[in-house]
Amino acid sequence: MSGGLWLCIRLPRLAHEALATAHHAAGTEAAGAEIAGAECGGDRAAIEAIEAIEQAAMERLAAWAYQWSSRVSYRLADGPLLWLELGASRALFGGYGALLAKLTAELTQLGYSHACALAPSPAGAALLTQAEEPRCVTTLAQLRLRLELLPLALLALPPQVLAALHSAGLRRIGQLLALPAAAIARRFGPAASLYLQRLCGSASDPRPAWRMPAVYRARFEFDAEVRATTALLFPLRRLLLEFQGYLRGRDCAVLRFTLQFEHYRHPASALTIGMSAPTRDAAQLLLLARERLQLLQLPAPVSALRLQALEFTAASVLQGDFFGSDAQQLQQLQLLLDRLQARLGDQQVRGLALEADHRPERSWRLVAPQPPTALPDLPAGVRPCSLLQPPRLIEAPAVLLSGPERIESGWWDGGDATRDYYVARAGDGARLWVFQDLARGEWYLQGLWT
Amino acid sequence: MNTPLTLEQLARLCRDAAGSHGPRPAAAPSGFAELDARLPGGGWPVGAIAELMSDAPGIGELSLMVPALSRLARAGRHIVWIAPPYLPYAPALAQRGLPLERVLLIQTGSLKESLWAMEQALRCPAVGAVLGWPASIVDRNVRRLQLAAAAGGSLGILYRPPEAARESSPAALRLRLHAAADGLAVEIHKSRGGNAGLTLRLAVASTAVA
Repeated sequence: MSGGLWLCIRLPRLAHEALATAHHAAGTEAAGAEIAGAECGGDRAAIEAIEAIEQAAMERLAAWAYQWSSRVSYRLADGPLLWLELGASRALFGGYGALLAKLTAELTQLGYSHACALAPSPAGAALLTQAEEPRCVTTLAQLRLRLELLPLALLALPPQVLAALHSAGLRRIGQLLALPAAAIARRFGPAASLYLQRLCGSASDPRPAWRMPAVYRARFEFDAEVRATTALLFPLRRLLLEFQGYLRGRDCAVLRFTLQFEHYRHPASALTIGMSAPTRDAAQLLLLARERLQLLQLPAPVSALRLQALEFTAASVLQGDFFGSDAQQLQQLQLLLDRLQARLGDQQVRGLALEADHRPERSWRLVAPQPPTALPDLPAGVRPCSLLQPPRLIEAPAVLLSGPERIESGWWDGGDATRDYYVARAGDGARLWVFQDLARGEWYLQGLWT
Repeated sequence: MNTPLTLEQLARLCRDAAGSHGPRPAAAPSGFAELDARLPGGGWPVGAIAELMSDAPGIGELSLMVPALSRLARAGRHIVWIAPPYLPYAPALAQRGLPLERVLLIQTGSLKESLWAMEQALRCPAVGAVLGWPASIVDRNVRRLQLAAAAGGSLGILYRPPEAARESSPAALRLRLHAAADGLAVEIHKSRGGNAGLTLRLAVASTAVA
């Protein structure tokens, strides 16, 4: 018995659509014509190149599918087909309907044509992807009933076997299943008999389980060199959506990932994108990548794009998984900080904090935008909203509105200061925060009552 | 698919990532009852741009905003300073009840970067107010910032030179600020949905020891 429930996804245009993205980025057309041309012309090298693109696309989709099932397998011939074993994860997704809707929506977003079916045997699910609705059955008895009325041509059997079945007068799968297994094996070969038993779930159908790689590497080859960084966004979006699936599958998040750009006549270049908090949200990753790409000067046109992530962090309370308003605000703020830092640089985006020092110029500091842990005492005197750093030497002010406030501090660290602070008024009505250095008698402007 | 569609999709992704919240109050109380009584909705225009045109720096143009900024920050929203001409002085802001952990200070290298950063910050729902000091700004960009403020439900404050009062601007609210012996004279130059031409005297942040 094969056990469990299998979701099968048929991706009839996988190679076309993987290639179309490459064409799209390169600004060319007609992926289908290229594939047809390669097949008709028997151009072995071209066919192999297309197969490699298809294989790479399927590997990325397997990683994407892993978020819903730890048992994923695929087959490229006659399909291509991707299977997810779902028995154990049913409860996690609010029933199959919700899961199928989500899966279908993401596949559409990824840009892949697809047909999904659900059955208690992998071969049964694969067959139902080609049948009319309904394509979801959850028990072996339902599967058998569903199969009986379907035409024989849907069976994944060699053409000569199908021809033999047809000439024996059989038209529907039910007619074939009514025959004894031994008779089928004798007349149509043991392979056909085994396939039918697997189809109905009466023989086990072991499949090599796809293994989640420990580091994530995806590569996307362009069909022609790409010059504009904006053209990289389209394939990057797909790569990141697949990457999001991988991260969900491993139940982890990333703090940084690397984009590598391959060039024909130049060594590869790379761009590492870091986040202020772990994430696995494709939209957020794309936003950051877009900011960085806009500023990037590519040394040469790009022939292939790689996405690589080597380090992962645990997914504890993650943005996008948690819908409390505080968490959502934090996520939105992080997104803003990441965007600002990506474009302007980390040092340009700062927060403010207090320092326990009486000297006005040392009673504050710039910090990384983080909540401070403890607040030093506030000064007793009222302070202006804007500070001149450093204080500016001025003439003795004519109009003093209030003061003095004596500030003495710093004898222990060499920054001796004995100052009398006043509020002064300038000719244009501005209120100034000035002090007289009592050691030297000089006047300084240190703040403005903005 | 063609390229414009892709960019459109990207824009949608960006919007989805930014998330959306329920309706916000249309005004943020200024903390000055006389002013609130004259402003449509009873305060600063949330989801829009207000221009403050000060005769000179240092007459109380920032103190005018501080009560509203403190209130927004204490409600959990961030206050973003984009390339201010003077350093916002942390002890003074803390004295006036503005939680410093909600303050973000952004330095930029050009006017273009400032406008970009201002737009990003205004769009972010975690931000309550954004303060900018553009050396010059054209109507198209004010309109753009206004859209960003509407999207993020935030308040945008543009500090502009006094000469800007001679030109029109799509900003929802435009105030001229004059020095006054007992505080700040606030002249309502333009008020969308309200009355213009009025001058109020406000006792903004006292310079006396409390």
